[in-house]
Amino acid sequence: MSQSEAKDSGARDTAMVTITINGREVEADPSKPLIAACHAEGEEVPHYCYHPGLSPVGSCRICQVGVQQGQMPPRVMAACRTPVAEGMVVDTEAPKAHDARRECLEFLLKNHPLDCPICDKAGECTLQDYSFDEGQGEGRSVEPRRKLDKRKSLGDVIVLDQERCILCSRCVRFFEEVPETPQLCIGERGSHSVVETFMNRPLTGNYQGNLADICPVGALTLKEFRFQARVWNLHKVASTCAGCSRGCAVTTEVLRKHEVKRFRPRHEPAVNGYWMCDTGRFALEAPNREHRLCGGILRGGSGQAQPVDTRTALEVARDMLIVHGEALIVASPFLTVEEGRELLALGKTLGARPVFLSPEPNDLTDDLLHTGDPCPNRRGLSELGFDALPVEEVLETLPSYESALLVGERLIDMLGAKNLATLPTALRVVLLECHYVDSPSIDVAVGIPNHVEREGTWVNVDGHAGRIAIARPTPEGVWMATRTIDTLHELLTMSAPGADAPGSATPGAIPSTPGAEATLG
Amino acid sequence: MSDAQAQLLVMFIKAAAIYGGLLGCAALMTLAERKFSAWMQYRIGPNRVGPWGLLQPLADGVKFIFKEEVTPDGASPWIFRLAPLMAAVPAMLTVAVVPIGGEFQLFGVTTQLSITNLDIGALYVLAIGGLGVYGVILGGWASNSKYSLLGGLRASAQMISYELALILGILSIVAISGSLDLLQIVEGQKGTFLGFLPDWNLFKQPLAFVLFVVATFAETNRHPFDFAECEPELVGGFHTEYSSMKFALFFLGEYCAMIVMACLTVTLFLGGHAVPYWADAPWWIEAGAFSAKAGFFLFLFIWVRWTLPRFRFDQLMHLGWKVFLPLSLFNLFVTGAVISL
Amino acid sequence: MVIVKRKILSLWERLYLPEVLRGLSITFRKMFEPRVTRQYPEEGLPTDGVTRGQPRLVVKDDGNIACVSCGLCEAACPAYAITIDGQETDRFIEREPERFDIDMLRCILCGFCEEACPKDAIYMSNELELADYTREALAYDMEKLKRPASAMRERMDYVKKINDRW
Ligand code: SF4
Ligand code: SF4
Ligand code: SF4
Ligand code: FES
Repeated sequence: MSQSEAKDSGARDTAMVTITINGREVEADPSKPLIAACHAEGEEVPHYCYHPGLSPVGSCRICQVGVQQGQMPPRVMAACRTPVAEGMVVDTEAPKAHDARRECLEFLLKNHPLDCPICDKAGECTLQDYSFDEGQGEGRSVEPRRKLDKRKSLGDVIVLDQERCILCSRCVRFFEEVPETPQLCIGERGSHSVVETFMNRPLTGNYQGNLADICPVGALTLKEFRFQARVWNLHKVASTCAGCSRGCAVTTEVLRKHEVKRFRPRHEPAVNGYWMCDTGRFALEAPNREHRLCGGILRGGSGQAQPVDTRTALEVARDMLIVHGEALIVASPFLTVEEGRELLALGKTLGARPVFLSPEPNDLTDDLLHTGDPCPNRRGLSELGFDALPVEEVLETLPSYESALLVGERLIDMLGAKNLATLPTALRVVLLECHYVDSPSIDVAVGIPNHVEREGTWVNVDGHAGRIAIARPTPEGVWMATRTIDTLHELLTMSAPGADAPGSATPGAIPSTPGAEATLG
Repeated sequence: MSDAQAQLLVMFIKAAAIYGGLLGCAALMTLAERKFSAWMQYRIGPNRVGPWGLLQPLADGVKFIFKEEVTPDGASPWIFRLAPLMAAVPAMLTVAVVPIGGEFQLFGVTTQLSITNLDIGALYVLAIGGLGVYGVILGGWASNSKYSLLGGLRASAQMISYELALILGILSIVAISGSLDLLQIVEGQKGTFLGFLPDWNLFKQPLAFVLFVVATFAETNRHPFDFAECEPELVGGFHTEYSSMKFALFFLGEYCAMIVMACLTVTLFLGGHAVPYWADAPWWIEAGAFSAKAGFFLFLFIWVRWTLPRFRFDQLMHLGWKVFLPLSLFNLFVTGAVISL
Repeated sequence: MVIVKRKILSLWERLYLPEVLRGLSITFRKMFEPRVTRQYPEEGLPTDGVTRGQPRLVVKDDGNIACVSCGLCEAACPAYAITIDGQETDRFIEREPERFDIDMLRCILCGFCEEACPKDAIYMSNELELADYTREALAYDMEKLKRPASAMRERMDYVKKINDRW
């Protein structure tokens, strides 16, 4: 869907051609450069300036491979700038090509500082990887390295280390081609070239974070992530962004089974391509928020909040919901399809009306990725049969019910802690949330895991199903959300013998996910 | 003070002195054992508690008292508790008849430096000393542990085998001195033999002496015959499951048994408290002589332990039944033949 | 396979007692030879550059440690004893540890951290004693790990020497 994808598959000749890569005949797409065909074949061709989501420029020359075409003698060519042509014979490890790459590497390292111990990119840096593979431990240059600004701030998100930059121009092209707001350029000339912004203006826009991902070295790094963790200590799982209803494919990266340190985009052609916005990337506060609700909390006749275990809390909730039968079920838009299904079944047993909270769209929307709708599973829940109800409307209708079942994370945020605290005392509320808010009408609160601790499916605005995955263990005493809802349902069914069997409320098909089981390689 | 009162008082004093000496000696033995072993291995040995580590036994005692008492599941509770006593008490009883010094005067009473003097001292020693094995067997059995049981069984087999050699050795001494009274046996060893040697049974019965000394090693479960404990095979043998003071009692029993055996060897073969070439030495010299002789044998116990490796159990049995028994019988036969001639 | 034939013993040897006496004479003589025991707490253990004691962070002459919290020692540590969090600093090295913990109870004194360190910040000291009343007290933090370079000089020179061999 992204623009780069659109560009790649432009209206050129799409008939496949046959080429030979390292002795194997393969079909290749002539609209893509040779390096893409090599990568598709699983051949390692190093590359710095080439990025599959950007137009190739061929400035770093590290992707040189041996190519023979027709009767011409074999030549060394930059694979990222060479279109595939019928009958090409490619040898990625041709000795001449290999030597050429080594020499390129030596030039790239000529001015690159030996910064790996302090560099945030270390561990996922392709310059590091390739230098390691080639194993040329010592430089031959006698001249001193360039001395440049090592901590140059480029706005609120990015910090630039000019010494580390290998002038691949990926960052420049990114702004030109993806958000189409050119802001960076390569200034000066020759060996004085540096990446800079015009008049040193700070970078703007909601997509700056991607620079840190695409910069092949550690020249552009995130301020937010600066020196926060070594990347090899991060536990990475493939998941989906919770920032908006686009549901970009991301990896959730957790340090020491505890703190979510990064969200990074994961390649998903049908949703986000290679990119994600900064809103989603830096949405670390909610998953890392302290003071989680572990187990259950009861507010008895004394009005004192009293901690109990989950099962006890659910039993009390059951008793209460049976007595105060006329209930409203308010789901959070962060609930997964699976949880929604359970909740719907429960609602049917209870005879309650299921709605989900639908906050106002925000003004972050743009025509690239961000939809402006903060409900990651709006479409999934709607298709299940939940009605979307804006916040004000929920707060207005709530008092007309005897009881309410509020389920899902960030409900407190969206409804407002103050509004919850001032609900009419006649209303009996069961709250299934990650956090707790003290309110006279909340009789039972039960802790559930938040979205980096659960697994399930979110359906994005285009109907694409994205998986969310468990990136870290749930806090002590917290049950999986599906288990909590299921148990409550079971308890209700046991005490209401005439009720329907659970699960009968499942509505029509949810789009299946081709890449649903995808994990990080 | 009437005569009877004085006699009683003297009796008490002697008992207190000899038992105090015995227990003190046993405590010192634990220290000596470690010191000598250390020296033989270029080490220093305990030297932290008191001067030269002399108070180490005391510290050990305190430690033993404060250790946790562990009784294994399935142990037979009463026998488990009784066994350490059974091991320690007989060893302490036997020392009652050993004559340590000659006659002396106290509160006008003329007495011997031994708690009592039985006509059948030698028999008494064997009878009571033989009971010590019960402690080991019962302890091993009551612990409800395979190691303990094996240790106990080995101990009984070993003691029965070597008691024979021991008894036959004593018998040949009894034969030549014509008395079961230990004092008589000592008296018979005063004077000289062949004109220049002290008249010790050692010189008259060298074979019996060697057999007897080796048998004492087996009887006291000492290296190289300590198959009842035998750490590499049986963890700790019969006392594997014992801890705290119960364990200490086993140890006490073992050391008391060693002391008694050393005293017995001295009495039977080395002229007891008799001082060579000085027939009427004062009693305290005699007691000193006795202690010196016994001390040598105690040292021998330690010395051998840190020199020789342990045998195999079958070798032990082989030695006991196929070598010691015939030799002892032969020796007794020759002795009898010579006497009757 | 090696077959060891049982030696045929002479009668003298089979009597065993003479050999026992010979053994006894040996142990007796040993009792009078000089002792080799080291009176440990009073007499310290001899250490030199080869000694691999507990790892320590070297404090340089300017009062700072050289560590840039690169996490290589953390990654190299086979016992997972090291935990490091980094932070930004105004010093030239840009990055320094905010937290540097070594759980001395986990450390196996292998010296991998010393070998991994690209900044020569961590060295194996000659400190071998490790005792305290709680486990927490033995999880050393940065302050407890700092040692002046003078105290580590011997090891640093030794490591430099063996590294120069390659
Ligand atoms: S900053 Fe990074 S992406 Fe930009 S030109 Fe330099 S190396 Fe390339
Ligand atoms: S010495 Fe080895 S075990 Fe100890 S901290 Fe260093 S790397 Fe870890
Ligand atoms: S390897 Fe050295 S510089 Fe890196 S974190 Fe460890 S001590 Fe610090
Ligand atoms: S990747 Fe081809 S020239 Fe840079």
